[in-house]
Amino acid sequence: MAVTALSAAESKRLSPRLRKLEDERWLAMALLAPTAILLGLFIAYPFFEGVLLSLSSARVGDPGHFVGLKNFHKIWDDSIFRTTVWNTFWYTGVTTVFKLALGLWLAILLNRHFKGKAIIRAFILLPFIIPTVLSTFAWKWMFDPTFSVINWSLFQLGLITTRINWLGDPDLAMTSIIIINIWRGVPFFAITLLAGLQTISPELHEAAAIDGARPWARFWHVTWPLLMPVTLVVVLFSVIQTFADFQLVYVMTGGGPANATHLFATYAYQLGIGTGLLSEGAAISLAMFPFLFVIVVVQLLYIRRVETR
Amino acid sequence: MIEGALWRRWVFYNIPLILFVFVLLFPFYWMIVTTFRPDGELYLPWNAPNYMPFWTNNPTFEHILYLFEETNFARWMFNTMFIALVSTVISLFCGVLAGYALARLNFPYAGGLGTAIFITYLVPQTLLFIPLAEIIRNFQLGDTPWSLILTYPTFLIPFCTWLMMGYFKAIPKELEECARIDGASRWKAMVYIIIPVAVPGILSSGIIAFTLSWNEFIYALVFLSSPDQKTVPVGVTSELIRGDVFFWGPLMAGALLGSIPVAIVYSFFVEHYVAGLTGSVKG
Amino acid sequence: MAKTKRRSVLKLAGGAAAASMGGMAAILASGRMPAFAQQRTVHWLKWVDFVPATDTLLKREMMPEAEKALGVKMNLETVNGNDLQPRITAGIQSGAGADLIMSFNSYTHLYANSVVDVSAIAEEVGKREGGILPYAKAICSNGKVYMGMPWAVIGGMIAYRKSWLDEVGVTKFPDTWDGYREAAKKLKAKGRPFGQTLGHTFGDAPGFTYPYLWSWGGKEVDASGKVVLNSKETLESIKFMQGLWKDGMDEGGLAWDDTNNNRAFLSQTISATLNGASIYIETLRKPDQYKTEKGLPMNKDIQHAPLPKGPAGQFGFHLLQSNMLMKYSKNQDAAKEFLKWIHTEANYRKFFESQKGFATPCTAKWESDKLWDVDPVMAPFKVAARLGQAIGNAGPPDAKAQEVLSKYIITDMYAKAVQGMPAEDAMKWAEAELKKVYV
Repeated sequence: MAVTALSAAESKRLSPRLRKLEDERWLAMALLAPTAILLGLFIAYPFFEGVLLSLSSARVGDPGHFVGLKNFHKIWDDSIFRTTVWNTFWYTGVTTVFKLALGLWLAILLNRHFKGKAIIRAFILLPFIIPTVLSTFAWKWMFDPTFSVINWSLFQLGLITTRINWLGDPDLAMTSIIIINIWRGVPFFAITLLAGLQTISPELHEAAAIDGARPWARFWHVTWPLLMPVTLVVVLFSVIQTFADFQLVYVMTGGGPANATHLFATYAYQLGIGTGLLSEGAAISLAMFPFLFVIVVVQLLYIRRVETR
Repeated sequence: MIEGALWRRWVFYNIPLILFVFVLLFPFYWMIVTTFRPDGELYLPWNAPNYMPFWTNNPTFEHILYLFEETNFARWMFNTMFIALVSTVISLFCGVLAGYALARLNFPYAGGLGTAIFITYLVPQTLLFIPLAEIIRNFQLGDTPWSLILTYPTFLIPFCTWLMMGYFKAIPKELEECARIDGASRWKAMVYIIIPVAVPGILSSGIIAFTLSWNEFIYALVFLSSPDQKTVPVGVTSELIRGDVFFWGPLMAGALLGSIPVAIVYSFFVEHYVAGLTGSVKG
Repeated sequence: MAKTKRRSVLKLAGGAAAASMGGMAAILASGRMPAFAQQRTVHWLKWVDFVPATDTLLKREMMPEAEKALGVKMNLETVNGNDLQPRITAGIQSGAGADLIMSFNSYTHLYANSVVDVSAIAEEVGKREGGILPYAKAICSNGKVYMGMPWAVIGGMIAYRKSWLDEVGVTKFPDTWDGYREAAKKLKAKGRPFGQTLGHTFGDAPGFTYPYLWSWGGKEVDASGKVVLNSKETLESIKFMQGLWKDGMDEGGLAWDDTNNNRAFLSQTISATLNGASIYIETLRKPDQYKTEKGLPMNKDIQHAPLPKGPAGQFGFHLLQSNMLMKYSKNQDAAKEFLKWIHTEANYRKFFESQKGFATPCTAKWESDKLWDVDPVMAPFKVAARLGQAIGNAGPPDAKAQEVLSKYIITDMYAKAVQGMPAEDAMKWAEAELKKVYV
């Protein structure tokens, strides 16, 4: 809703330039111009270029020519690509479920008054704040095949006798990156869900308790529905970030062993930048977009539905 | 809130909480220990006897010294800081203006533009890095900090805009209308009344933008090549994996020191960071 | 040293800030990047040498010498070997980057369109030094031009612990695959397996898998370029590898990069591994740190042997390094001068001697150099440049062969098989991937 327009007398007092700014449309355009230029130049234009690139046979040093959908056919036939698609969905799915569950649990644990609450809340966000590459190196060292401290601890506790091949076994490698992603994402979920929890007035809980509802029922019927909007938005952000993840896998495994942990982004990097097959790399990157789009649209519709309920 | 026996409190609340905190913070502790642990102690296999991984009795600064003497680490810190600050300023500028426009002004396509800006957030850097490299080359920005300063806002602005929209929407219209009635132009009203009220939101956006800049990797990896142009994440990854002898000591030192600036900035503005994070989710 | 570093860091910081501010204004004003000072510079990008002494020598002594001799500012940069290809791509794509970039194997063919012909330098050096060896020539030249100036060959041999092999009754390193498997089995039973990487590494993995394949008679393509990987010989080699892996190898090897086997060997968890000479050289460098379990210096217990023979012969795949002069470089003349300078006998010798035999030069005359007589443990490496067989066998080591190498197809074939995929399927998978390249 716009603020009331100035009276004719007042507008006459202003210079022509300022009068222009009064016109909301001009002001809006002026305000949005920097954003539009930057985003247009460095997102819209490259996106368009990327589409063209994926439809060509370009390699590094060779601009190539138009080949239509040949690259997409090629990658669809590529067994490594199919593995990559599966990996990405599995990775995103598993981590999101755990991040939500653990994040919610942590939020509930923090939703009380106790000494040192502010400090703990500040500290637990660290995994999310610290540059991913740097914290991933710490994990890589912790999982190292020969020197792993985790193996040492489990060995000392008598739980294992031979070392766990965290990064050498394909399934364990995927498990390892899932663990690190969860570790990094739980604080984000926890803090935002905590804020959501705090907006739920305690009276609602008391009323439900008076009505005889047990804790679990209280959670399911009071807390969870009220938390839904926030949850959905958090999940949306997280899914986008996880689906397009690059840094974590690049540092930990480089996509190995034998392509078991390749995601869209790392495989696109290996093909496009590593091997110089730019058009194929672009095709793989672009292949992300439809999936992302669908996931986001579905979630947005769901959010809208929940909010209007 | 569960009232009740002390043991209940411990089992259901305190112990899980302690476990969470331990798991979340242990890797940082590990980073610290490894940074100060001498090489001789570092490379003991996992089942070697007398292995004391959690503490060292011979702390050493040799890894940190190595980091500063044998690599351009100080330069990387400067680069990253510079790039992050300038990108944040640019993004805040654009985000505040755009957020205001979308939240308070009435004009055609407002909804569409808002959605468009949101959609750009959907376009991950890993989708654009290959064609962007070409564009960077055409502008002759390759291997300069400007290649990042101009591209980082692409993922910072949508976020800032979104956040600021939320903050602006929450400011009552009356505030602005009073200013207008008092004779201020729309522009003046925005600059002198609204923005000061939205300062907490600006701080929040700024902090989050700053941490996101530090965290960016793939653009920096692809657009920068000279060692003295690199940012900390790229430098640590590419220059501390040296040959056959993995330099874990300096690597952890680099990871630790590289995390400190972000941690410090964050620690000053925790409230704003949290507010921003939650605000963006609610908005 | 530290003081000057700090001062130069501060100077750089201040200068960078000023330059950036000025740069911004200039960009906004002119829409172009400002022109920098006119001094000629050469930016040389090479891998982080597995022999640290060489990089120290280059950075601290030879670059300053070159600067004085040529009047050119030298900028030597070292990166992890795995990152060379991405840097090359990024450089070509963004039109800016290092002037001289080190190439591994057939990158020279892959990037032929983006490099400058250096035949003049190659031929001059070849004439002076008894000729460029055929292996290097096949990789660096396409018959018409030299895409890269040959630099060195990194020979790969099996480094092993003599005393441990003696303990299980193996007094000479096995020269057949069956003997190799037997020895590995005995040692793995004692907790000292052999170790080999089957990960995505540029050095040790192909250095093992390619000659392994050839020794069984397997080939990627025939001379006409037809994919002939799918063969009885290849299948045999895969089946044997599956057994060998379980019986005698450290199964963590799937996740290893080129540094893991070094560390595993040096921390005494494996008894033998294919590697360049860097393990041995490291033990020479720090004799007090690397001691055997009996307390003796480890470097006295290390010997080198070539890869065993298979039914079709004995082969070795050695990494060939060359330097490419990039077309986008604005300092081509200076770069050429530098190449000539560093390949003069006096200068190249400094490099050669710092390597202690880790690198074998690409011209004939260095084979009889007295360096090889100094340490008998290193003697097997001197013929690396002469005996190496190149990728893409039996076709030429061209861009397609390099693409296969860069995609780790052969290595992955074995990796998949040892992870449980039936040998037939692994072979068929690799064959299909090869066919997509050799289209």
